[in-house]
Amino acid sequence: MKRPVYESLKDYARGIAGGLLFSFPLLYTMEMWWAGLSATSLQLIILILITYLLLLGYNRFAGMRPDATWGEVAIDSVEEMGIGLVISFGVLLMIRRIDPAAMGLTELLGKTIIEAMAVSIGVSIGKSQLDSEESGGGKQPDGGPGSSSDNGKPDKTDKLGMAVLAICGAVVVGGNVAPTEEILVISLEAKPIHVLMMAVVSLLLSIVIVYFSDFRGATEKFPKDVLYHITFDTCVCYLMALGTSAFILWFFGRFEDVSFWVAFAQCIVLGVIATLGASAGRLLIK
Amino acid sequence: MSKEPDNQSEQDNQQGDQKNWLEWAVFGLSLLLVLTILVYLGYKTYTQKPATPDLYVEYQPDPSPHSPFRYHVSVHNTGGKTAEVVQVEMVLWQGGEEMEKAEMQIDFAPQKSKREGWVLFSKDPALADSVVARVVSYKQP
Repeated sequence: MKRPVYESLKDYARGIAGGLLFSFPLLYTMEMWWAGLSATSLQLIILILITYLLLLGYNRFAGMRPDATWGEVAIDSVEEMGIGLVISFGVLLMIRRIDPAAMGLTELLGKTIIEAMAVSIGVSIGKSQLDSEESGGGKQPDGGPGSSSDNGKPDKTDKLGMAVLAICGAVVVGGNVAPTEEILVISLEAKPIHVLMMAVVSLLLSIVIVYFSDFRGATEKFPKDVLYHITFDTCVCYLMALGTSAFILWFFGRFEDVSFWVAFAQCIVLGVIATLGASAGRLLIK
Repeated sequence: MSKEPDNQSEQDNQQGDQKNWLEWAVFGLSLLLVLTILVYLGYKTYTQKPATPDLYVEYQPDPSPHSPFRYHVSVHNTGGKTAEVVQVEMVLWQGGEEMEKAEMQIDFAPQKSKREGWVLFSKDPALADSVVARVVSYKQP
């Protein structure tokens, strides 16, 4: 028996809603359009491949049923990327950021692809999260690798899944401010003490979120274990957040011709919001 | 794909690949789109040569009720790189002397594209011997 067309249409509608919902701030951000102008073909290829890996990871650990085969995961990821490209092209055309009459193919492609990568992650999240009818009943018994950490006995896949979801969360939440000039301004004007404060606050936020969301109830049973897991999860969250921040900043050319300190400070500045994404955002999208 | 209750997901698992025509169509088109883009970008990367911006200016009188001495200016970039902060200068020459100079700035002139704007004079260009427009400077993004 095949899936009814109506069901697939509902799926796509959710995907489109999610794509727009999570990435609209980026579609309306100047720096994203500029990045589309100056990105080289090689950078765009790298961006597409990395986004595809992220989609694979997200679909594997959260987006789809845990029993989905890698083939299905790969097929869905391609679909989401295609939908993302179409949405991105449509919106950019609507807000007149692309104009086929006056622009070369390189500019059209650059802008469309950069925006589309953000949109396709939104599509993927929308498809799995905006499912109002089934998510209530479907999520708990399902017990996907992402959610089984609630039982206090996370296994290896669980940690990997957590790391992947942390990256997705960091990209979705941190990505919205990453291309803006404000990150550079903050890091240029911050003194070392401010940067230190930002790093400490990131870690504290991460600890609080991880503690109150993942380990509520498990505290009395395994006090030592919990301490270890909180430390581990916080470290993973913060490292993923910093790594993601560094990659995005590098992609937008923020590391060119700056001193090591400014580059480092930018990572920490973006890291505050990326950590929120990696800890709280991860719980929202799983 | 959405998460579904257990009984449903077992059912689905047995027919994991049973996609309907719509899903196959979306997948097919998406795959085609993504692969085309990758191939095109790959080709561009392979054939890419170091390039610089190459700009030229086109202009024509375009008077309006409030600015009778207005010129419509379009800046074309035929080079292989984007130019940033493009300064365009228009000069009215009369008898070997500068009668009036006007400037226009364009934030971005991407490769193989055109950007447009207007330059306004206070004196009548008809009194001048010649009108000259040129790109003065631009910087690397």
